[in-house]
Amino acid sequence: MSTALDTDVRPEDRFISAFEVNHGQALNGTNASIAQQREDAIERFSALGIPTNSLEAWKYTDISKIIDRPYALPLAPEVPSVDPSDIAPFTIDDMDAHRVVLVNGRVDPSLSDLGDLPSGVVVSSLTQAGDAHPDIVEAHYGQYADFEDEALTALNTAFVQDGAFVYVPSGTVVEKPIFFLHVTAGQEDLFLQPRHLFVVEDGAIARIVEAQHSLTDAHTFTNTVTETFVGERANLEHYLVQDEGPNASQVHTRAGQQKDDSVYSTNTVTFSGEVVRNNANIEADGSFCESNLYGLCIGKEDMHVDNHTQMNHVQPDCNSNELYKHVLNDESTAVFNGKVLVTRGSQRIDAYQQNDTIVLTHDANIYTKPELEIYADDVVCSHGATTGQVDEEGVFYLRSRGLSERRARILMLQAFCDEVLSEYKIDALRNHITEKIRQRFANYFS
Amino acid sequence: MSTSETEYLKGKASEDYKHGFYTDIETEKAPKGLTEDVVRYISHRKDEPEWLLNWRLKAFRHVRDRIDSGETIDWAHLDYEAPKFDEISYFSAPKDKASYDSLDDVPDEILETFERLGIPLEEQKALTGVAVDAVMDSVSVATTFKEKLKEKGVIFKSFGEAARDHPEIVREYMGTVVPYTDNLYAALNSAVFSDGSFVYVPEGVTCPMELSTYFRINEAGTGQFERTLIVAEPGAYVSYLEGCTAPMRKENQLHAAVVELIAHEDAEIKYSTIQNWYPGDPDTGEGGVYNLVTKRGLCKGDNSKISWTQLETGSAVTQKYPSVILAGDDSVGEFYSVAFTKGHQQADTGTKMQHIGKNTKSTIISKGISADVADNSYRGQVKVSKNADNARNFSQCDSMLLGPDCGAHTYPYIESNNPTAQIEHEATTSKVGDDQMFYCHQRGLGEEEALKLIVNGFCQEVLQELPMEFAVEAKELLDIELEGSVG
Repeated sequence: MSTALDTDVRPEDRFISAFEVNHGQALNGTNASIAQQREDAIERFSALGIPTNSLEAWKYTDISKIIDRPYALPLAPEVPSVDPSDIAPFTIDDMDAHRVVLVNGRVDPSLSDLGDLPSGVVVSSLTQAGDAHPDIVEAHYGQYADFEDEALTALNTAFVQDGAFVYVPSGTVVEKPIFFLHVTAGQEDLFLQPRHLFVVEDGAIARIVEAQHSLTDAHTFTNTVTETFVGERANLEHYLVQDEGPNASQVHTRAGQQKDDSVYSTNTVTFSGEVVRNNANIEADGSFCESNLYGLCIGKEDMHVDNHTQMNHVQPDCNSNELYKHVLNDESTAVFNGKVLVTRGSQRIDAYQQNDTIVLTHDANIYTKPELEIYADDVVCSHGATTGQVDEEGVFYLRSRGLSERRARILMLQAFCDEVLSEYKIDALRNHITEKIRQRFANYFS
Repeated sequence: MSTSETEYLKGKASEDYKHGFYTDIETEKAPKGLTEDVVRYISHRKDEPEWLLNWRLKAFRHVRDRIDSGETIDWAHLDYEAPKFDEISYFSAPKDKASYDSLDDVPDEILETFERLGIPLEEQKALTGVAVDAVMDSVSVATTFKEKLKEKGVIFKSFGEAARDHPEIVREYMGTVVPYTDNLYAALNSAVFSDGSFVYVPEGVTCPMELSTYFRINEAGTGQFERTLIVAEPGAYVSYLEGCTAPMRKENQLHAAVVELIAHEDAEIKYSTIQNWYPGDPDTGEGGVYNLVTKRGLCKGDNSKISWTQLETGSAVTQKYPSVILAGDDSVGEFYSVAFTKGHQQADTGTKMQHIGKNTKSTIISKGISADVADNSYRGQVKVSKNADNARNFSQCDSMLLGPDCGAHTYPYIESNNPTAQIEHEATTSKVGDDQMFYCHQRGLGEEEALKLIVNGFCQEVLQELPMEFAVEAKELLDIELEGSVG
């Protein structure tokens, strides 16, 4: 069912009344703890309100106008029938993967191709997982995405219905990437709130690739929350490709927790979107963890991309690495706000953070805020940020080798992106992204 | 940190605050509280012209509204109780005379106070050639070297005198860089500011000596609200230094100053601060000065330059961001800072560089050292506006942690709206390296000497920017601080 939003009232109230209408119909509506959490979440959302620029964390990104559009707010969005040919451009066929297609946040089995999964590995919708594996869902769901200070996480938690679910049991290696292709479809302006849960148990290894695309010209706002658990000695690589087109806005929150000796890497690339806000929060709740956060934003037209990261070191002897790069063209705006927190007693932390931006036009804007908050003395933490243009000496060198100025500049931009791309451990995915970037740059400087 | 080191550091009991004495001088204080009567009283006591009173009243109404509406400043990484604005006495003058004509009129006790602080006016006059303006509580006590400066046309006076003698200059510039609506504390200062320094350097003149002001809060239950205005006409150069101390008191004292600098074409202003207000009890955190200061410089003309250098070792709470507005083409802004916090001290300090003119350059070097349970934050903004072609910024913010219970934080804001801007920011946080200590030991240095050497080396880049006489003082101050409580 769907509740049309009325634009005359306080935007928060529309969500609250929609919540009341749909009361009890969400995920595991009968489960007491989840039901209670939803009640708490809507209350918290009501108290926090939709974030505005006056909040430090939202200083450079205003979503209040975008969120105030008359979107339909379906609790369980209908899944319009999507033809396989519609999604063909996005399937990254070279990448041999366990593929799941989600339309409007719901798994479409007819488009999916799971292939052979190792025994014990579960890849399904969150709703199915709630029925089939309630113990796993209950042990992890709602544990990592804290909604105390995040209105949109609270909103997602209140409306939780469905999304993707991955479970990799102890000691299991999933050789092929697990690929979630998210598409939005339909003629209506939609407000979607998918909720994903990825659990990788002790000693397991998995790679998850998510790609977001749109099949509609309608305005959409997707408020995603993904919770991730990486067990002891486990290794999870998590890739996100965002290319939903100029009418799609989103707030994408990833909250992950990792245990002793684990490795967790996230890699986000943003090609398009109206307003895109990514929150990547990692808590290294174990010793000898390695956490990697990589990001790339290829800005065009008037897109606005805000990457907000929070790296919490709450245990000693860990290291973290962060590298975000932006290439901004046209009137695009990028925001980077990275925060490294080292709590009292978390000694011997090695944390590094870097943000580099190339601004190509007078109308593009960059706002960077790398933060360090350190409460332990035996640490090496540093960050760097640069903003500038294509290196003229590099261009000169390439021209001296016979390249045209245009080609030289494009090559310099590609090289700039390469530092992030080289962190893609899946060859087919890296080639796919590199090609997309090459196509984007092809008409630059003409 | 090795055990012997820890023991050494623990063994070093916190050294007493050297400037914590109180001078018993008869004073006249305004009644506590922030009322229109108090503002009128201050203005009357200082024999101010009508326009200045009106300016104060405008600011008073503004700040009263802001206080009444419950405004607080809570975005900084600081944890302290907001000052109770109605329990502060906004004016305190030594004896019954609010200004002194010459050194001979100044009571001996006051001169003695300044001597104990290490600024014997007479001696400095003769030896160092530094012109000193000393401000005790609210009143400017003496300005040395007036005559010599007069020859060159340099005006160096207390703010009160300047408002009377040179109203045309003061009126033209006052509040243009820091308007009274700027922030809560700047607004408060605009209403109740007591005294401060005024410097005017005429066109083409290089000020023949360093100018210096010494501030001291003496009376209990008072705040200090000085206001400094420095104007450098085209081609002028001036170097200015301020130093600050206060006696030990159990209650928190408020220091809310405003400093405005204006540099015209080709002019250069160098502003150095050694801030050593009473930091509060090192064990309990009781008392200490709240140092909430607004400092801003305007590079108004082309090729102008403003340079801030600060050594912050005192105050219970420090919140200040000496900034530069780079309006003129080819103008240069610099910020060099060492902030040392120990005990329960908290500092949230940094700078703002606003690039507006073309080909503007800014450099930020910030060194934070944190010990005991102190918190030290760097917060800085580099903003490049749309038309600021070829803006260039380099920022480096290093933090050093001395002990497992302190905190060091970095919050840089970089905003660029111009593709030709080149901005670089670097920050590191670490402790004194074991290898560094080991090397020093191996060369025969003890724990204490080694630490002093390493910390001094860490701060070198900033300290070398201070005028020579003060660089020595700064180094000594830093050494004393380290002896006190590193650990």
